Amino acid sequence: MGRRSSDAPVRGWRSGILSVGFSLFLVVFVGATLLLIIGDALYVSGDAVKTVLTAPYIRQALWLSIWTSVATMALSLVFAVPVGYVLSRYRFPGQVIVDAVVDLPIVFPPLVAGLTLLVFFNQTGVGRWMEAHGMKFVFQPQGIVLCQFVVSASYAIRSAKSAFDEVDRRVENVALTLGCGHWGAFAHVTLPLAKNGIIAGAILTWARAFGIFGPLQIFVGSFRGRTEVLSTAIFLEQSVGRIEVALAAALLMIGIALAALLAIRFVGGRALVKL
Amino acid sequence: MIRAENVSFRIGDFHLRDITLDVKPGEYFVLMGPPGSGKTIFLECLCGLKRVDSGRIIIDRRDATRLEPRARAIGYVPQDYALFPHYDVEHNINFGLKRTAVPADTARRKTKEVADLLGIGHLLKRSVGGLSGGERQRVALARAVVVEPKVLLLDEPVSALDEPTRRMVCSELRALQRKLGVSTVHITHNCEEAFSVADRGAVLHQGGLQQTGTLTELFRKPCNEFVARFMSCENICEGEVVADARKPDRTTLKVARTQFVVPGCFEGKVKFIVRPENIRLSRSRADLAEGDTALELRLARATDCGVYVRVELDGAMPLVSTVSHAAFGELRAEVGDTLVATIRRGAVHVLGQA
Repeated sequence: MGRRSSDAPVRGWRSGILSVGFSLFLVVFVGATLLLIIGDALYVSGDAVKTVLTAPYIRQALWLSIWTSVATMALSLVFAVPVGYVLSRYRFPGQVIVDAVVDLPIVFPPLVAGLTLLVFFNQTGVGRWMEAHGMKFVFQPQGIVLCQFVVSASYAIRSAKSAFDEVDRRVENVALTLGCGHWGAFAHVTLPLAKNGIIAGAILTWARAFGIFGPLQIFVGSFRGRTEVLSTAIFLEQSVGRIEVALAAALLMIGIALAALLAIRFVGGRALVKL
Repeated sequence: MIRAENVSFRIGDFHLRDITLDVKPGEYFVLMGPPGSGKTIFLECLCGLKRVDSGRIIIDRRDATRLEPRARAIGYVPQDYALFPHYDVEHNINFGLKRTAVPADTARRKTKEVADLLGIGHLLKRSVGGLSGGERQRVALARAVVVEPKVLLLDEPVSALDEPTRRMVCSELRALQRKLGVSTVHITHNCEEAFSVADRGAVLHQGGLQQTGTLTELFRKPCNEFVARFMSCENICEGEVVADARKPDRTTLKVARTQFVVPGCFEGKVKFIVRPENIRLSRSRADLAEGDTALELRLARATDCGVYVRVELDGAMPLVSTVSHAAFGELRAEVGDTLVATIRRGAVHVLGQA
């Protein structure tokens, strides 16, 4: 079979066209994103920024967003490491289905997660029994963590699985012959080698949890000082016409999200690429 | 020191069948076979990285069949070495010592001793990422021997090295093994590599052990055509017994367009090899002893192989002969000349019924 000219290595002036042409797309995409943010920043007044930085309810919402998203990240890690390891290392009947179910929360609309949780705790026997026995989630701060976990834990699991896939099994095997049991090989070899990918997944999970809004609105509502997170506060501010304050709060979120994404690049960028 | 008794293991369509072999204390044993023959799987069974379906593995007089890898007192060097990329050279080497509660100062001393023995003492603080192939191989070897294993298991330890380094490392491996006196199982698909290190060896094919013996035995007296071909034997021939010419101690075969005498009594079709170095070439027929065969063949090609000349002969029974430069010079033969190839009875090894 002959090679098409587009398959052949690009040489000479074509190489220039390729790099300039492709870079143009990069410039357009990054430029458009930055323009949107700059547009927001230009619209926001100093008073709005002052309100966001000083209003107690914004501070409460920010604090609630931060601690719930960090708790969600921690809870996701607790699941991501063992689940990712099992999916990476073991073969079992129905694995393809299990694998797909793990990914399911990534693809279904976040709103559905909130609705599903609400139905579970209000309409099913198990859910009502849990609510009746002190495990209250609906319209509760702990419900924020549960909702964020359902929506974002899959990112941590997927990332952990990819990270474990990257660890050469022969390296683990050598550790087993050098005095390690399976726990020892996992702790001294597998986990340290998968660390960057797991951390990258955790940060991605945190960023996702930090930003969700729709499912929270349905499952825990937006009670000021109790279940109002920053994304909900933005929604409430714009719904009462305080667009500038909403945009200032949004810029605060964007700044925090940007810091998180930069952290991903520094800590586990390579693993993230393989997600 | 390490013995496998009827070891069987099945994975997918591949079946390792009834492998029995015994490696003596201090012996350097090479397990050979083409890629896909089951060498690595067998080695992993010896390591305990795969649980055998049946059979026993005895290490240092202990039944290790159900022991975890860490309890088997083995040192293992896998293909491509599998160094720990998150540790430097020193931590790679002393990894096993740290896991076995060796005091820190003893671990440091042993690590230094082994590293110096292998000529990598100056690399201890280096990251493993920047090491050359030969250095990586030495680090992997140091990591395996520093725990003082009863048996050293090496999975194609030099296959990733270039030819000159491979030769040098093979001779170092042999010297190290002699110095440590540790029983060693080394697997390879290269019989030249096996010759350079081994006391004894075995050939594996499609999960079955074909033959065990000294390298000379495997080379000079292969048990079947596969072993003969794997050991790079030349002149593998097939002939049919001439019924009316059979005798108790020798059989006359019809081979291609001539007759050939092989030792032993056979029926039907027989496969045999003729050792190229035992074929005498001359310009005219000499007196033949009983059981010898002389064939008139045409010189098809003569290749200078450095220490000998490889002579390809064509005719009724094509053969390859290896002769010294002096002997070939005396023949004053050109391509196309007819030569007499005299094959002594002892130069023939019968592989068995075809």
